[in-house]
Amino acid sequence: MARLEVLNPVAQTVQHSVKPAPRLTTFQGATLGLYWNMKAGGDAALDRTEALLHEKFPGMKFRRYIGSVGWLMRHCTAEDADRIASEVDAVVGTTAD
Amino acid sequence: MVELERRGVPTVLFTAQTFVHDAHRSAASFGLAGLPLAVVPLPFTNQKPEDVQRMAERAFEQVVAGLTKPVDARPVAPPPPLEDRFAYDGSDLLDAWSHMHADFLRRGWSDGFPLVPATPRAVEAMLRGTPRSPGDVVATLEPGFGIATVEKLAINAVMAGCGPEHLPLLMTAVRCLAEPKMYIRNKAMSTGPHAPLVLVNGPKGRVANVNAGMCALGPGAPSASNTVLGRALRLVMMNVGHTYVGVSDMDTIGSPLKYACCCAENEAESPWEPYHVTRGFAKDASTVTVHFVYGMCELHDFRSTTPEDLVAVFATAATNVAQVGTGLWLIGRRADPRTKTEEREHNTLFICPEHAQIFAKAGWGRREIQEALYRAARLPFKTMMLNKEPKAMAAAHPELAWLADHPDLPLPVVEDPGCFDLAVVGAAAGRGAYFYGAGEPVTLAVED
Repeated sequence: MARLEVLNPVAQTVQHSVKPAPRLTTFQGATLGLYWNMKAGGDAALDRTEALLHEKFPGMKFRRYIGSVGWLMRHCTAEDADRIASEVDAVVGTTAD
Repeated sequence: MVELERRGVPTVLFTAQTFVHDAHRSAASFGLAGLPLAVVPLPFTNQKPEDVQRMAERAFEQVVAGLTKPVDARPVAPPPPLEDRFAYDGSDLLDAWSHMHADFLRRGWSDGFPLVPATPRAVEAMLRGTPRSPGDVVATLEPGFGIATVEKLAINAVMAGCGPEHLPLLMTAVRCLAEPKMYIRNKAMSTGPHAPLVLVNGPKGRVANVNAGMCALGPGAPSASNTVLGRALRLVMMNVGHTYVGVSDMDTIGSPLKYACCCAENEAESPWEPYHVTRGFAKDASTVTVHFVYGMCELHDFRSTTPEDLVAVFATAATNVAQVGTGLWLIGRRADPRTKTEEREHNTLFICPEHAQIFAKAGWGRREIQEALYRAARLPFKTMMLNKEPKAMAAAHPELAWLADHPDLPLPVVEDPGCFDLAVVGAAAGRGAYFYGAGEPVTLAVED
């Protein structure tokens, strides 16, 4: 019998922690942000989501967002996030695939 | 989305089934396990609008639930193992090693090739390649925010087959990956085949036997250092940066360049100052440059004897609209939203010594080649936009809306002549390489 001992190659990670936001209790009168990172097709999904929400909750308002930096994918900066957070009650996003 | 949750805004994210695990792991790495998703069967890309809308309809209840139901923030994956070492038993050492290899494959810690066992003695020997302490932190590596200690880099270097002489070069390459300008998160987690092309300049590359000549990017004994150094960087991306296939590396097809893509510049046969001097370093400095690339194309030309003819041939490689970076400037710049560092899309050319001599004899330096390529590598606006989102161009460059009325106007494939990076690599015969880049290269000095 033989024993081979090797060292662990996997790094420990820096841990981040974010508390989830309180969820909505009602959609009535809520303002919803629709965030698109400009990856193909995402805008069509948000169009349909807006139409369905509007149908079901007629009092809702909607605002469209894209990130202020980027290329194929436009990203939200901290300032973008601050602005969005000050303007809407919730966000539906299409940010990748 | 996590940043909005942090600010008290509930969110839900459309995600294709294939990317659910990736989305959860990514959100968890930013601190929010259980980010609500509205899962759709396919990515929205390459779908007709009516098909996307149908998928959105079917996911509507998930959208409502994601915004109203409590978030299940349980961890999505076990934390990295805390053990310092692992033991494998077998009928002999080779049998024990085969068990180690099978276990590492099962855990996802291997690139697929057999690994050199990182025994305590082998790692101790590797650590003699640097004066730094094993516990020193070289960098924090995204996307997993892995803590790249000298020891973890040494362990992965051993596994790749490196010697102590390679460790300082690997540590420098890892620092390049961690530079904010690199925005590695974008490249490591993409569906694209981003491979770190590593170019070594200066005396420390020669000490480490990094090949700059024949078959510098290929297999064989002369390129043994190139192979193990490039391989080590990939293993570090995996085991330190936590870039694991199917977990965070969502590469659609992959690329053999991702196993190892490393060489030195052939400074001895270059008619110009070394590449790293163009990046602001002293001639006698040792540097490592990392440029993520999508792929490469041969620059074959046995016939041309003038710079103009060579550039005309090279420009045909540069005008490949199927490559992400071609004309990408029209829709913005790669940018990390956290640091707001922006990257122009660069492409790297390896010019063989014979071609370099043709340019040099005519009095051309790098700048002349870059400018000539910039003029020659052009495509009609309508061709450049074939695979680009017009709304993205409207957002990035509203001042260029007039181009819509000039679809046949030729435009440069990059935003500046400096976006072509030129290094002399290889041996005799007129063959170079054009690397389709992803963002900008990063060059750093090798530390003593």
